[in-house]
Amino acid sequence: MNTQPKAALSVSNIQKSYGQAHVLKGISLNAHKGDVVSILGASGSGKSTFLRCINLLETPDEGSISLNGETIEMKRLRDGRQVPSNTRQVEQIRSRLGMVFQSFNLWSHRSVIENVIEGPMRVLKRSRAECVEEAEQLLQKVGLYDRRDYYPAHLSGGQQQRVAIARALAMNPQVMLFDEPTSALDPELVGEVLKVMRGLAEEGRTMLVVTHEMGFARHVSNRVVFMQDGHIDAQGTPAELFEGLPTERFRQFVASHQLRSAE
Amino acid sequence: MDTLQMLSFGNTGWGLALLKAIGMTLLLTVVSLLVGAVFGSLVAAAKLSRQPGLRWLGDSYLVLFRGVPELLVIYLFYFGGATVVSAVGHWFGATGYIGMPPFLVGALAVGLLSGSYQAEVYRGAFMAVPRGELEAALAIGMGKFMRFKRVLIPQVMRYALPGLGNVWQMTLKDSALISVIGLVELMRASLMAAGSTRQYFAFYIIGGIGYLLLTGLSGRIFNIAEARVQRTQRRSPLQH
Amino acid sequence: MIDFAFLLDTLLKLLSALPTTLTLFFSSLSLGLLLSFAIVGMRVSRCPLLSYPARCYIMIFRGTPLIIQMYLIYYGLGQFPVVRDSFAWVVLRSPYGCAVVSLALCTAGYTAEIIRGGLLSIPYGQIEAGQAIGMSRLALLRRIIAPVTLRQVLPAYSTEAILMLKATALASLITVWDVTGIAQQIIQRTYRTMEVFACAAFIYLVLNYIIVRAMRWLEHRLTPHLRERPVHTPTKAKLDAGSNPKSLRSSL
Repeated sequence: MNTQPKAALSVSNIQKSYGQAHVLKGISLNAHKGDVVSILGASGSGKSTFLRCINLLETPDEGSISLNGETIEMKRLRDGRQVPSNTRQVEQIRSRLGMVFQSFNLWSHRSVIENVIEGPMRVLKRSRAECVEEAEQLLQKVGLYDRRDYYPAHLSGGQQQRVAIARALAMNPQVMLFDEPTSALDPELVGEVLKVMRGLAEEGRTMLVVTHEMGFARHVSNRVVFMQDGHIDAQGTPAELFEGLPTERFRQFVASHQLRSAE
Repeated sequence: MDTLQMLSFGNTGWGLALLKAIGMTLLLTVVSLLVGAVFGSLVAAAKLSRQPGLRWLGDSYLVLFRGVPELLVIYLFYFGGATVVSAVGHWFGATGYIGMPPFLVGALAVGLLSGSYQAEVYRGAFMAVPRGELEAALAIGMGKFMRFKRVLIPQVMRYALPGLGNVWQMTLKDSALISVIGLVELMRASLMAAGSTRQYFAFYIIGGIGYLLLTGLSGRIFNIAEARVQRTQRRSPLQH
Repeated sequence: MIDFAFLLDTLLKLLSALPTTLTLFFSSLSLGLLLSFAIVGMRVSRCPLLSYPARCYIMIFRGTPLIIQMYLIYYGLGQFPVVRDSFAWVVLRSPYGCAVVSLALCTAGYTAEIIRGGLLSIPYGQIEAGQAIGMSRLALLRRIIAPVTLRQVLPAYSTEAILMLKATALASLITVWDVTGIAQQIIQRTYRTMEVFACAAFIYLVLNYIIVRAMRWLEHRLTPHLRERPVHTPTKAKLDAGSNPKSLRSSL
């Protein structure tokens, strides 16, 4: 066991541009084991791009990422941008980072259980029997054991997202990344997904959650990061942010969201 | 420069003949497309009809003309047509074998094939027209014919345009098959030029380039037309 | 009125040419499919040196009539001593070989475009989900891109297979005696066009029917996820549990 608090995930100075648009202007973030970090921000603030940079679905132009002390090797191209130099390492790091997408992205041609066992079997090369057994436990945990042989098209959005969470958990990731996991859901289905996520937080999972759910940020996470125009505008414990309202932008953001939930 | 000489437009060259043949290919394709439009819309109407008998008729047409090799259809009209014409001729006292003009056979055979492609295009386009637009026409008291002419046909043609572009290309390529019954279109002219000069490779390539030009150019024209139609379709009434 | 003896006789004669038609069909379809993999691989490449030739190939073979391609290969290539002396002459000297080559070349162009369409229609998120769990490029191709594309392209490929069956008839123009070739021979000898046509059409329609059925069956096997939602009874789900994923895997 680690006695000194070493960061599980350490990200520093992430920058990203699309053409002229400077989307991320140097974001740094450390998450320790067991941290649940909520990343808030208006749409277009760059929070999803930031999350996607962490597992290199987007390649950051600048900055470094390390997972439990292992830094992703990057090399610089002639035009000044950097790209990962070791594909094997990227794949290996990704397998240790669980990702849950806004639009679930379940493989539509595979049943629920096949979606969950795909990663452990094909990437971690574990035996089928073992994977199935574990997958069944995970499906029980997200409450979908009886839908194990359904195909994604036959499930509601909330159910699909719970399967996607089980799929990510099946890799036994060191850090879980959630990219607006409830934004594509009908309001009445949001609760079931949040419940599963709350359970994971209580288990002590390390989680980074890009979200619009103020309740989750306030009551479940232990740290909140507020992003604005490609940089971090405010961060701290939920109490520091939601009671202190340290910046004008964050005050406006909270006010607009309270208005919306009051409607 | 042997080949160049053979391509010249003078007495010894094949240039003029090939150019004329391209014209014939275009003419045959256009006429076939029109014949196909008649049969295609009839078959589409039959398939959309409420009468099971008509639907069955439409289905049979499609199964037959989309399933049987084009060459067989051409033989059917060429030889079958000649048999019928000869028989009719005998009644009127003519003797011997009377053939059908190859252009007529070509326009009929390729036209019926084209009709089988067009039927599906029209049917798809008809299904794509929003029902609400027809109801709107009904609501302002348009009669059946008026609805048909003012709302349905223009809309169907819009939705059908991309599909018709494909049909045109297929019909153009099918028209090359009429060379087997002796109509001097591009394919036949290439064969003749190749045969008489013994420059098979060169003239087949030239013929091929001719077809590429035709399909390429017409493809571009259809793309432009489509872009036009899309534009009128997207424009909202508020933009005026 | 109907001369059954003649019909039967014609049908038997035509059926004797059925093996030629079928082998033409299967060999050119499978060769064309293999070739189309190479072409589509080049076509979707980011390197213009690869994608440009593939583009040209597709444009040429889809933009010209098959009949002229076949004549070019059969009559045109034989004109050159280089070709006659090369190893390819073994294939190209025979009308049958030329027919297979030209049919395969042509269908490869069409099939490449069909596959490309399938590739473009894969929801990108499903590929990202694979990347996110650390799949290698090969695993992505094998586990996600290939199976999803296969399912997407089957209906269009079924149409292409039927067009190919019809196209085999053109081989009769370069003296391969397939069903259409024999039919034409009988017509010219007897002038009983309708009857011969009916017999030949019958054979082709039956073949079409078999192709369509086979493709539908394949599609049905491969797309359980598009079928209707299963009736939700937990006991039934358990019964299916063992067999279903395995049978799916073995069919891939």
